[in-house]
Amino acid sequence: MGTVRYILRRLIFSAFLIIGVSMILFAMINAIGNPIEILLAERPGITDEIIESITQYYGLGGSVTDRYFTWLGAIIRFDFGTSIIYNLPVSEMLLTYGLETLKIQIPAILIALLVSVLISVLAATRQYSRIDFGVIAGAMVGHSLPGFLLGILLILLFSYWLGILPSYGAYSTRNLLMDSMVIDGLWHMVLPVAMLAFFNTATLTLLLRASLVDVLRQDFITAARASGLPERRVVFGHALRNAFIPVLTYLGILFGLMLGTAPVTETVFTWPGLGALYIMAIQQLDYPLIMGATMIITFMLVTATLLTDIAYVIIDPRIRLA
Amino acid sequence: MAAAQPLLEVRDLKVHFFTREGVVRAVDGVDYSVNRAETLGIVGESGSGKTVSSLAMLRLVPPPARTVAGQILFDGEDLLTRTPKQMAALRGRRIAMIFQNPATSLNPIYSIGAQLTEILTWHEKASRRDAEPRVIELLGLVGISDPATRLRQYPHELSGGMRQRIGIARALLCNPSLVLADEPTTALDVTIQAQILELLAELQARFRMSMVLVTHDMGVVARMATRITVMYAGRVCETADAATIFNAPQHPYTRALLESMPRIDHSYAGPARRVLPSIPGRPPNLLNPPSGCRFHDRCPEAQVECRRLLPVETAVAPGHIVSCLRRGSPGIVA
Amino acid sequence: MDSDATPAATLQAENLGSRQRPPGVWRQSWYRFRRNRAGMLGLTLVSLVVLIAIFCPLLAPFDPNDQSAMLRGAARRAPDSIHLLGTDRNGYDVLSRMLYGARTALAVGLGAMAIASLIGVTIGGIAGYAGGMTDELLMRFAEFFMVIPVFIVILAVVRLFGIVVVGTWLENIPNLNLITIIVLLGCFEWPPIARMARAEFLRLKHAEFVEAAVCIGSRKRDILLRHILPNALPSLIVLVALGIGGAILAETMVSFLGFGDPKAVSWGQSLFFNYEALKVAPWAVLTPGTAIFLTVLGFNLLADGLTDAFNPRLRQ
Repeated sequence: MGTVRYILRRLIFSAFLIIGVSMILFAMINAIGNPIEILLAERPGITDEIIESITQYYGLGGSVTDRYFTWLGAIIRFDFGTSIIYNLPVSEMLLTYGLETLKIQIPAILIALLVSVLISVLAATRQYSRIDFGVIAGAMVGHSLPGFLLGILLILLFSYWLGILPSYGAYSTRNLLMDSMVIDGLWHMVLPVAMLAFFNTATLTLLLRASLVDVLRQDFITAARASGLPERRVVFGHALRNAFIPVLTYLGILFGLMLGTAPVTETVFTWPGLGALYIMAIQQLDYPLIMGATMIITFMLVTATLLTDIAYVIIDPRIRLA
Repeated sequence: MAAAQPLLEVRDLKVHFFTREGVVRAVDGVDYSVNRAETLGIVGESGSGKTVSSLAMLRLVPPPARTVAGQILFDGEDLLTRTPKQMAALRGRRIAMIFQNPATSLNPIYSIGAQLTEILTWHEKASRRDAEPRVIELLGLVGISDPATRLRQYPHELSGGMRQRIGIARALLCNPSLVLADEPTTALDVTIQAQILELLAELQARFRMSMVLVTHDMGVVARMATRITVMYAGRVCETADAATIFNAPQHPYTRALLESMPRIDHSYAGPARRVLPSIPGRPPNLLNPPSGCRFHDRCPEAQVECRRLLPVETAVAPGHIVSCLRRGSPGIVA
Repeated sequence: MDSDATPAATLQAENLGSRQRPPGVWRQSWYRFRRNRAGMLGLTLVSLVVLIAIFCPLLAPFDPNDQSAMLRGAARRAPDSIHLLGTDRNGYDVLSRMLYGARTALAVGLGAMAIASLIGVTIGGIAGYAGGMTDELLMRFAEFFMVIPVFIVILAVVRLFGIVVVGTWLENIPNLNLITIIVLLGCFEWPPIARMARAEFLRLKHAEFVEAAVCIGSRKRDILLRHILPNALPSLIVLVALGIGGAILAETMVSFLGFGDPKAVSWGQSLFFNYEALKVAPWAVLTPGTAIFLTVLGFNLLADGLTDAFNPRLRQ
């Protein structure tokens, strides 16, 4: 009952959020005037009539508010218009490129979760030991090493110097590795996933270890041990779940950060994902594409936040009353 | 009553905290024993090493503390030489503990039922379905109304007194022979305190278990304990049966402690009022404990030798042990 | 508690004879900070960046805009005795540009966080002190900014703003692009500060010394600025230190993607210009990269040390 209302409230807030972002962006893009004029200015042979007809074709005529509501009505039907530069339906492009982005980000966050749990348990159960100190130092360095720098280092080492992993793209341009789309695709995923997973692992470990150390000190952990439960169950069953509560918020933030900085990651690895698409779109002022990509990224982010909110309720019974 | 072997015998137990500033001797050579089906009250001011010594019984002293010396004979076998696995099998099954703060000693994210059945299924390899009725029955015994509903509730949904009853039920799940109760009523309201003490006494008689009741409250032990051990600064001052401690205390610290308790037959207000005596000074810093007898700098009877010599526990009467140079204990240079 | 005995005792010994005064919060925090090895390493790194930013004209062997190596055909040269860290594809001396980049980095970090602190403390302070509906509205507003994909929006705004200013007087402002980035970062990075300020103002509003000030009839402005704000500072400083590192990193990423200020000497710009030549001249990428890493690490460690110094937990 309380749970449903809580989730409903978060859903409504999320909807407001998406609409808010769309309005800001829409206003900004319109502040620069007609993008068609800017794009075609200084090109020979362009008359006002041509500009006018192209403007109409892309649905860019009429008043700003009219256009906004038309656009809003269309995106509810998953119709983001047509890309000016590529002349393709934006929704199709978003789907293709979006999947490529998720293809590296979801494995990265899952790997990071698994690895950081193992490392944090290892460190927190041996507080102040050499292992613990090493984990803290390593996590701090990993957390401070900007992801794209790590990416550059990985490319230098594994692609240029050792020559064992590809440095760009999602697939080989000529011969697929072992003639298989799957193996070749996985082969290309290794470096970008490694880079994203490393950064997330470091940050999560930093948070989770501290949280776990705090929880392991608490009375109910001593009580669980005093009840004769085996250490494995005390740590993984009782301590870890409690330790996750403060970390959960950061899981949403971390995913948001990864998604938000996708342009950087995908530039480093020349990865054909949403981030790379977005960069092309704003460089070339592909107005429908900018709007569509931003909306999809915002939507994914809001969904991630919503999922962490729901996970919160599942994991922590104390919230259910609120 | 036959002078049978005591259920628990603690000999020369030392638990030290190894901190950055130095070694804190929280428990520094403590002896006591608990007979079957009796309640031993351990009394002392906060910081006198009471809680740590109960955790030591379970071999659960938290780092940076370590049990550095001594023997803990449970049913004649030294717990300090058991393997971790053997020890884990004893905890919760033969020796159980009731914690001071019911607000923090239950896991906030699991339901009451989940926490209690987990222990039972683990120790007795029972299925959840078999365990649940037993948990419900025990919850009824500790005075929880509508136990089947409570099973689905979470700790934050219950009152403090209710949570402590759950804590007691958790300790009694596997019918242990020894229960360690660490200040079980300190965190509760005064009215609830009386109810919980009554419940503990009743359950102890019913299940014929032994209990170690650790507290700073003389009133609590007066009510509950068969025998009493008084601790000061990590050492035992005096051990005797309850009546002797209250009627004929020997150690100056025990006497001071009793004198500082308000009494119903004294008036502390009005023209003929008395002043409630208090023990001068402060509990010592155990990082750097006083030389000789730990109590000498606050003791009204202290003499020069008390500053130099550490008193050894000595029986002044059968079952009445005192460690005080002024009561005939021999002293050692330590 | 006990751990403070030594410095407190020393201080008391110093003050002996004059008025005996226990060390203040700041001094106590400094004693604790000094013993935190990670924090001190952070402080060292940050101090290094500051010193380089101040003294780079003395330290740098070349002018950061000197492209003469290009004319000599000495672009993309590996490190040698003249160019200690080599030259990049534009013929710049890599070391000199790295040293001068510290100025840009600090300008970005400090500028952005000054703006963010101003907005954050104002909004958070009002929310925490006023409470009620105002609080609810302002915090929702802050949450909005925390969930939107800030980096994506900043990229778009930087790009679009660059078009809007064409032909206006704004065009003539030097380093306009960099200023835009700083202002944008400030305008988007305030919510964490606002949340912390709100929590602190809420906590301190009911502190006894504040209620005492209210009782003796202090003016509201004095209560807020002289009683509450100074006590909220420690928690806020930690966030500001973290934010400076974050802002520097964000500017680097904006520049790396090609939306930075082409006229600024910044680490991100160096990465952008030289990334395509990574294979042939890795030093031109690794040098600014290392500078960014050490700067961000420095601010993170500093923040970490400050957290421990301001909130002493039980240390074993």
